[in-house]
Amino acid sequence: MGALYGAARAARSRLRPFLSESRAIVPILHKIGGERSFCSHSRQNSREGAVDLGQFPPERIRNFSIIAHVDHGKSTLADRLLELTGTIKKGHGQPQYLDKLQVERERGITVKAQTATMFYRYGIKEDDAMENLSNYLLNLIDTPGHVDFSYEVSRSLAACQGVLLVVDAAQGVQAQTVANFYLAFESNLTIIPVINKIDQPTADPVRVKAQIKSLFDLDPADALLTSAKTGQGLEHVLPAVIDRIPSPPGKCDSPLRMLLLDSYYDEYKGVICHVAVVDGALRKGDKIASSATDHVYEVLDVGIMHPELTPTGVLFTGQVGYVISGMRSTKEARVGDTLYQAKSTVVPLPGFKPAKHMVFSGLYPADGSDFDALNHAIDRLTCNDAGVSVSKETSTALGMGFRYGLSVPQEYGAKVISTVPTVPYMFEYADGSKVQVQNPAALTSNPGKRVTACYEPSVIATIIFPSEYVGPVITLCSERRGEPLEYSFIDCQRVLMKYRLPLREIVVDFYNELKSITSGYASFDYEDAEYQQSDLVKLDILLNGQPVDAMATIVHNLKAQRVGRELVEKLKKFIDRQMFEITIQAAIGSKVIARETISPLRKNVLAKCYGGDVTRKRKLLEKQKEGKKRMKRVGSVDIPQEAFSELLKVSKD
Amino acid sequence: MGGNNSWKSFGANSQDDTNLRRALNPHHTEDSTGSSNCMERNNIPGAEASQKEMEMPRSMNFQLYPLLSLPHRPRVGSKFSPTPSTSLLPCLTAVCRISSDVHTSIPLPLPRPPLPEAAYIHLPFCRRRCHYCDFPIVALGSSSHRLDDDPRISTYIRFLLHEISAAKAPSSLHPPIRTVYFGGGTPSLVPPRLVRSVLEAIRAKFGELAADAEVSMEMDPGTFDARRLDEMVGVVGVNRVSLGVQAFQEELLQACGRAHGRGEVDEAIELVAGCRGIESWSLDLISSLPHLTEEMWEESLRLAVSARPQHVSIYDLQVEQGTKFAKLYTPGEFPLPTESQSAYFYKMASEKLSKAGYEHYEISSYCKPGHECQHNQTYWQNRPFYGFGLGSASFINGVRFSRPRRLKEYEQYVKKLEMKTTAEEDDDVAIVDAKETAMDMVMLSMRTARGLDLKWFESFFGEAMKLSLCRAWRPYIDSGHIVAMDEEKRVVATCDFELEMAGGGQRRRWEVAFLRLSDPEGFLMSNELIAISFGVLSP
Repeated sequence: MGALYGAARAARSRLRPFLSESRAIVPILHKIGGERSFCSHSRQNSREGAVDLGQFPPERIRNFSIIAHVDHGKSTLADRLLELTGTIKKGHGQPQYLDKLQVERERGITVKAQTATMFYRYGIKEDDAMENLSNYLLNLIDTPGHVDFSYEVSRSLAACQGVLLVVDAAQGVQAQTVANFYLAFESNLTIIPVINKIDQPTADPVRVKAQIKSLFDLDPADALLTSAKTGQGLEHVLPAVIDRIPSPPGKCDSPLRMLLLDSYYDEYKGVICHVAVVDGALRKGDKIASSATDHVYEVLDVGIMHPELTPTGVLFTGQVGYVISGMRSTKEARVGDTLYQAKSTVVPLPGFKPAKHMVFSGLYPADGSDFDALNHAIDRLTCNDAGVSVSKETSTALGMGFRYGLSVPQEYGAKVISTVPTVPYMFEYADGSKVQVQNPAALTSNPGKRVTACYEPSVIATIIFPSEYVGPVITLCSERRGEPLEYSFIDCQRVLMKYRLPLREIVVDFYNELKSITSGYASFDYEDAEYQQSDLVKLDILLNGQPVDAMATIVHNLKAQRVGRELVEKLKKFIDRQMFEITIQAAIGSKVIARETISPLRKNVLAKCYGGDVTRKRKLLEKQKEGKKRMKRVGSVDIPQEAFSELLKVSKD
Repeated sequence: MGGNNSWKSFGANSQDDTNLRRALNPHHTEDSTGSSNCMERNNIPGAEASQKEMEMPRSMNFQLYPLLSLPHRPRVGSKFSPTPSTSLLPCLTAVCRISSDVHTSIPLPLPRPPLPEAAYIHLPFCRRRCHYCDFPIVALGSSSHRLDDDPRISTYIRFLLHEISAAKAPSSLHPPIRTVYFGGGTPSLVPPRLVRSVLEAIRAKFGELAADAEVSMEMDPGTFDARRLDEMVGVVGVNRVSLGVQAFQEELLQACGRAHGRGEVDEAIELVAGCRGIESWSLDLISSLPHLTEEMWEESLRLAVSARPQHVSIYDLQVEQGTKFAKLYTPGEFPLPTESQSAYFYKMASEKLSKAGYEHYEISSYCKPGHECQHNQTYWQNRPFYGFGLGSASFINGVRFSRPRRLKEYEQYVKKLEMKTTAEEDDDVAIVDAKETAMDMVMLSMRTARGLDLKWFESFFGEAMKLSLCRAWRPYIDSGHIVAMDEEKRVVATCDFELEMAGGGQRRRWEVAFLRLSDPEGFLMSNELIAISFGVLSP
């Protein structure tokens, strides 16, 4: 899982709005912008108005995204397009972007969609080869590469009318390509297939074209052949965007309606919202209201991401840009919210359904006294992403901590103990009551009433891999309680399989396992599916009869025995002998299904203690004490911190 | 100021006041001139230093270091005059850093801790090094039979005498030394006349020994005959012998590299047990030697009891780094006994010796009533002591100091010591860390049967600390590793202990007065249990 997130982050890192180093860009703006109207009001915003957005009616605007499987060249293509339009300087991009990523990571910003505005001069051929060159405003709206962020992807796509579907000419269609295609397809977007990396010796565009035809029913003749690396074929990309993707559909003369795409917190400027103006226009000084909160804000600054924040003082219909409006926290900026002129009345835009976090982990400081530090770090994180779900919780074993939705922030590293990731389960009882459980410890082991049904979230997984691995993949999926849905050849060598899998089964170690059994050739993606009924039990781990809340898990009944045995054996290895005998048990309710004992220490004494020995003895015992400090204590049993992380490794069910 | 307040709290009632004075100067008599007088007396040794301590910046560091002052148990059949048994109160001192920015003068009555009344003297000579030994010793080799004229011994003694005479202590006002301990090495290898000269130097420095002073000497079988023993007793004044038997089995003695066999053991026991001037002697054994069997251990314990010593020390073998044993063996692995075997040996000793009328008064010490080793009690009650000789440790003014363990370095140390003027010596005002003091106190007291005096602990470290300590140990009271006792040393039931802890914040009479480790389970786990308390004392 970690690998997935990591890859996704790395892949989509290069298209963020850059807040500094913008001066180099301004001259280019002047050239492209043509007319210049200096209507700035303050020295601070002296560059405001450098771009006259008024010359870009919706028909001169195209909003699009690039979607691709990880490493198929999305970022490089984006960089080339930005260079081609003079938005960034050639060769200057990459290192800066990487640096930026590092900084942003340190600030705890999660994976988010970003946007860049480009200007492009292009002539649409009219009747008699009469070329009429016009300026176009193109908004490249970035999407996270992986469908773990499918919510983010669809959020980005909501502001687009079309996408570039990038496929590696050698690797062909991969799982994420499929998932991304469907997201775009379901949003009724124009899809431009781009077969990239055609300069590679193993490139096989013909085969990829065939895959595009068979899988997506797209006309292979429409595919653009490019090499973002060598620049080959790039000249056709933006013309295709302009020719094929429709312009944004909004009404210029209607009252302002804009969609809040995203927000983040900047230390100096406060909350910065990314918006797509659907109808009407937005000007600096306007009073805008939020349909979600009814709060009214004054527009302090408005502009485009070029790619740095570039004030324009105005955004017109169909345009995408940023707004700074004095919001204090990103919590006020509800993604998917409709913003409108304060005095007008509008019908809110459909918006998005809120992000639903499906994977939860307990997060605890390894040293209890570090709770404040962790709290602070998590605060910063939530400050930058209103979508992150975090709630405080207390574990008897681990003290104060958090229940954290989505991915575990790796940034806090070794100082954090994270519990086995879990998913929200539903339990129905005989008395008709229903409980949703995000933390297994919260589920009563002996509720005193019969469980009539349990449900767990499932996913539809798409796996594409060379056909020789069919056997192991099927074994893996059925071990993970998968239900086969689809099995097809996408060409003569590669197989696409769809499985319905319990989400719980893929959150720990599934992708790693899949990679290892397919020698790294499988690609995997999934989309959330509905809850399905399942035979689930809560598995408690008891030390000397006392349950360790942080080790409780919910597992399938049929797997309980095996998982229980593994957990108990693992713990036996990691818990040192102590003064009492320790019994380690795995139990379902009051039924013990696995048991191990650790025999007690018999003797720990230093015999002689003469005068010269006092300091030496004290130091020795102090060392012994320090060893105890790294333990978490449950009842009278000291559990080393490593035991918790070891449990993570074993519980792939 | 902290020092003042603490001072007051101890002088709260007249009984305490008397106790305090007694603690400061155990030789204070009821008709002496009272506390100010005794303070003066105690301040004299560091007159200049006290002057400096008067002018202290506000920022300085006050730290307490309590010194246990326990009653000396009247010895059976000795001329020992018992001191009042109420003097359980610790002494108090503030040791402070003298900082360079002395701007404010805060006059403070700073009592010095009592002067030591115990002296350890290290006589490092052995015929050869035993395989388990990591002590600072000098192996003379077994070839030389005329040890009495060995220049290595006489040279060492010369340095030792210089060290003693260079010690800073006013002979005229020093309280009498009550215990002298000749440890080694094998002190019985040193010619009696030389040992006598050492004791003379002690007298010259600190005055005549207390009339009932305990003078102990470690002696090894095969290193003395009747005549030498008589000399040690009659000429030197040794009245207590610690006999290093270690084992009764020829094969075990050989395996651990002892220079004597079973014959010498029997002979030595006969000599010591039959020696008139020896009021008390200890038979020392090592348990858990390699190849030790249950039968052997049972035999050793039986023979030890039948030798009728007043004291038995049983040291569990520790495989120390750098020793021959460390090269040969791994603890818990054959031929060393397993952990549970050696725990069993410990329990056997505790059981058999208790049955034979010995009190298990410290983790590795047993004695007939009244025959505790007074010198060792000094260590275990955290009282000060002098140390002289190679590698020896002293505990003076709250400072623990160990001398060099190599002969050459020790000689250098003594030379430097002699060159120091009195004024220079007073510079070494050390910082005593309260946490370390607390840990020493808990560690040392919990290793004894008397255990930790909670009232006394509370008086230094407060009720909150006492309660945290009790809370940390609570599970082990349940499990029987720790015993809670009231003032009269009656066992307090666990549930009552619980109640008291819960009501700790309210005004409740705290009945639990002592906590001690149980025998043998608690003693066997002493490291664990003490380490747990360290987690409270020094988190």
